[in-house]
Amino acid sequence: MRSVEKHPNADKLSVCRVFDGETELQVVCGAPNVRAGGRYPLARVGATLPDGSLTIKKSKLRGVESFGMLCAADELGLSGDHSGLMELSETWAAGTPLAEVIGPPDTVFELEITPNRPDCLSLIGIARELAAVYRKPLQKPAITGVSEALSTDLSLVKIEDADACARYTARLLEYVTVGPSPDWMQRRLERAGIRAINNVVDITNYVMLETGQPLHAFDRDLLAEGRVVVRRAKKGERMQTLDESEHELDPTMLVIADAVRPVAVAGVMGGAGSEIRNETKNVLLESAWFDPALVRTTSRKLGLSTESSYRFERGADIEGVEWASRRAAQLLIEFAGAKLVGDVVDSRPEAAPLRKIEGPYQKIRDIMGIDVADETIREIFTHLGLGVLDAPSGHYALEIPSFRADLERDVDLVEEVARIHGLDKIPAPSPRAVVDPRAAENGTPRAKAKLRSVLAGLGLSEISNYSFVSDALLDLLDRGNQPKRVPIPRPLSADHSVLRISLAPQMTATLGRNRAHQATRAALYEIGRTFERGADGVVEIERLCIGLFGPVGRIGFDRHSAVESEEIFLWAKGLIEALLATMGLDAPTVTPHPVAYAEQGASVEFHIKGVSIGTLSLLNRSTRKEWRMTDPVAIAELDVAPLLTNALAVRVFHDIPAYPSITRDVAMIVSDSVTHEDIIRVMREAAPPELSAIELFDIFKGPAIGEGRRSVAYSLVYISARRTLTDDEANTYHNSVKGALRKQLSAEIREG
Amino acid sequence: MMPVFPAGRLNDSMNSGEIQELQTAAIAEIAASGDLSALDAARVKYLGRNGRVQDILLALREAPVDQKRELGRLANEFKNSVQAAVDERREALQSAASVAAFDVTLPGRWPHRGTRHPVTQIIDRAVEIFGQLGFTVADGPDIETPFHNFDALNTPANHPSRDPKDTFYLGDGTLLRTHTSPVQIRVMQSRQPPVRIIAPGRCYRPDTTDATHSANFHQVEGLYVDRKVSLADLKGDLTYFARQMMGPNVKIRFRPHFFPFTEPSVEYDFSCHVCGGKGCRVCKQSGWIEISGAGIVDPNVFKAVGYDSTQYTGYAFGMGVERIAMILLGIPDIRMLYDNDVRVLRQF
Repeated sequence: MRSVEKHPNADKLSVCRVFDGETELQVVCGAPNVRAGGRYPLARVGATLPDGSLTIKKSKLRGVESFGMLCAADELGLSGDHSGLMELSETWAAGTPLAEVIGPPDTVFELEITPNRPDCLSLIGIARELAAVYRKPLQKPAITGVSEALSTDLSLVKIEDADACARYTARLLEYVTVGPSPDWMQRRLERAGIRAINNVVDITNYVMLETGQPLHAFDRDLLAEGRVVVRRAKKGERMQTLDESEHELDPTMLVIADAVRPVAVAGVMGGAGSEIRNETKNVLLESAWFDPALVRTTSRKLGLSTESSYRFERGADIEGVEWASRRAAQLLIEFAGAKLVGDVVDSRPEAAPLRKIEGPYQKIRDIMGIDVADETIREIFTHLGLGVLDAPSGHYALEIPSFRADLERDVDLVEEVARIHGLDKIPAPSPRAVVDPRAAENGTPRAKAKLRSVLAGLGLSEISNYSFVSDALLDLLDRGNQPKRVPIPRPLSADHSVLRISLAPQMTATLGRNRAHQATRAALYEIGRTFERGADGVVEIERLCIGLFGPVGRIGFDRHSAVESEEIFLWAKGLIEALLATMGLDAPTVTPHPVAYAEQGASVEFHIKGVSIGTLSLLNRSTRKEWRMTDPVAIAELDVAPLLTNALAVRVFHDIPAYPSITRDVAMIVSDSVTHEDIIRVMREAAPPELSAIELFDIFKGPAIGEGRRSVAYSLVYISARRTLTDDEANTYHNSVKGALRKQLSAEIREG
Repeated sequence: MMPVFPAGRLNDSMNSGEIQELQTAAIAEIAASGDLSALDAARVKYLGRNGRVQDILLALREAPVDQKRELGRLANEFKNSVQAAVDERREALQSAASVAAFDVTLPGRWPHRGTRHPVTQIIDRAVEIFGQLGFTVADGPDIETPFHNFDALNTPANHPSRDPKDTFYLGDGTLLRTHTSPVQIRVMQSRQPPVRIIAPGRCYRPDTTDATHSANFHQVEGLYVDRKVSLADLKGDLTYFARQMMGPNVKIRFRPHFFPFTEPSVEYDFSCHVCGGKGCRVCKQSGWIEISGAGIVDPNVFKAVGYDSTQYTGYAFGMGVERIAMILLGIPDIRMLYDNDVRVLRQF
């Protein structure tokens, strides 16, 4: 860029004089970072952008001619960066083809590394895997010019907590020239998602990517007394990290300190006070091993997750610490003009003997379910870098290198073979179907499946709500159950703050939501667990909830006339009766029963053989109002377990009647206080066993009948299992029924 | 073969061909009669006292002896088939008259049509398929102990999955199970091998809800313990399942993975049932659909439940029910499974 001038007619544009190695061109540019002397990618007239969206033409921008386009990285398809022009290193001569600058086209593999394989958080680790797959030798970079000799002067490093920091190496380098790192290194770092900073920092990051060993470089002149102490942070100690955030430290954390103050959070991030500057000359290069659990807790506490902490948390290779340091020193010598001062300081415990694992090859084959030769398995072990020792025939014996801490037992080796040999080679044979005689234990799931299909057959749609709910919604239906609720101490939100104690609240909300979505009717059910605190902890009860609104029981097209409370209640009741009968249960007895969310007088409890199985209610007005539901809503809640008790029982045949029956009707006027069930009971008590069925066929209320009374009519069927009944016999039975109705219920029998 | 008639027959007598033509015409006229009176007129015209049938009978009377037999047969056939046509037509006309005309295109009247929730449908299907392989259903509580949910499953004390960020703790030493794997532990504690169970159920993780994550979700867990159970058995059984569930040509792919409770561990994928592996929108062009994790039960899990790992091996797998429902049924957002919108529920 020879010169940059403001565009005469546009605030945000610049008119640039650009030298492309041959001629000087005028280019109009809108990027904020353009400056004279910079080097940028230039697309000349005739060039097409990589995505094909634009071919550069000679153009005029606000009256000024432009002969090309200076590019941002995103326009070249190199990254998503559109913050400004892509800045190129000033070492490049003007006119260099961009292909040379950015290097050949490259492929970036994004790998998901499982937490047990920290060794694969590195190029060398991945290369080792590939070496095993292709049975080729692993080639690590050769290191020359850096001595492995140990320094005898240990005053440079002091470790106060050897459990937390089992190994610490330090190399000193002088005559360091800080500047940009080579383009190839910057490119590789950027492609791995690491921002290039300067040659020293870049080299530590680059070696981390190569080896999986995080490194840190200190400006030694910024370290008090030029030495480091590895210690716990002191209470109240503060430090500014490289990301310029200020942290308060505590004694659970490990820090690298100089003689006075902390200069890095061990394994997590360096401190701003000792970072590599442009003027840095003397570098202390750290390569160390920190306790994974400690790095994890520190990283969590500080909210700092870094490439370094990620690797230490999963476990760095304690035996690889020095090699990484040596590799970084080599690169510092090569690319930062550094010279080593003295030998490496290496504070470490005695190397632990390598773990040995032995076992039979056959077990590996058995677990894989595939035949792989001993020799192949041995080859795989060797190429993975495991030490193959002598072993008796049919057995292997291995020495596990330190970078494979995940290999502890013989079963851990199965995956090594399976992975390298190829999981795709494992066959998929036909299933070995072995009949389990305990299959009969599947009774409950089968009964539950039947319950669901019966509910579907009755026309209900199944819904599914979260097990979490808000206290507010529960309160809306029933405040009384508050003491029994099970709260979630750390809920995701207030809407999900407590486990549901009843399915009715969410059923109500579901009906209401559908109503709001203009549904005119809904017949829904949910089967789910409810949770309530009992004397011995929390009890989980599986429940069935049914919810109805709208003309769900009407067969005709009469959808518009309002649904009466009685109507929907009886639909729901009929539904439950049909459900119970299909599930093989006796007819329930139904008694009025208060329910917290029910309309006064519109809730009942169902009993079978004296055991309560649940309730049916019409939802009260105030609850309905929450969802602007003006029509009646029926909600039933039943326990699932009693519904299943007889579901799979075999039904035994009963004789069908061999003789004809005689039907007699009775119509009567009764007081409204007399219930249908009262009438049935009186009829049953008064009649002999020959009364086989009673059917209500008419109810009538009106002025002709009088206030507080109604007319009801029933058909009664009489039959004998032993002979044909005579009319006289039937009349006698029927008269005694009528007599009882008159006497016990003050019924006015309507004769004729 | 055409009947051969001798010469010298009476000119005004009908021959057999004419009788058959008359029969065809009579039946057509009867079938075309539009009401009962038209039908009766046609009947009289052909079968009446002065009807055309008399011409036939006349021909029969006057026929030479050697033709009487053939003409007699034709005369009988004429009477019977024309009468049958009259009866049939009368029945049809009467039946139409007996039913008042109504609009058969009116909507049908039967209000009942129920549906099962997609999650239930997938679970039921999985239970059915594994049932064919001899798996029985096992169940466990939603509220679990750390022992069943973590310890016995070889999950280290400092494992990230135990963090309150990843597990709902209830504050009384219990938690909401994060997977259906604790059911494995409960089953193995209560019986000796061989074991073949699947455990469908609800699980909970404090995931922020989005299109593919739900804090409340369902898994189906599978466990098979016996002598010499291998990765091949796992692949074979999962392949059987995948083909029954997704389609006949689906394949299974294993990828190496890591779970504390299995060793070795794999993640398994189904080849895409939509494109057959060529790449499409459903499989995001990869040809494969990631399903879940599986592996050979870690010996430490056997140790926790008192199984002898020198005698037995086993495989275990999990699968996300919502995920399979979404893939199979084409549901784009997991939240739709919990919205309970009847416009969605009605579709399944």
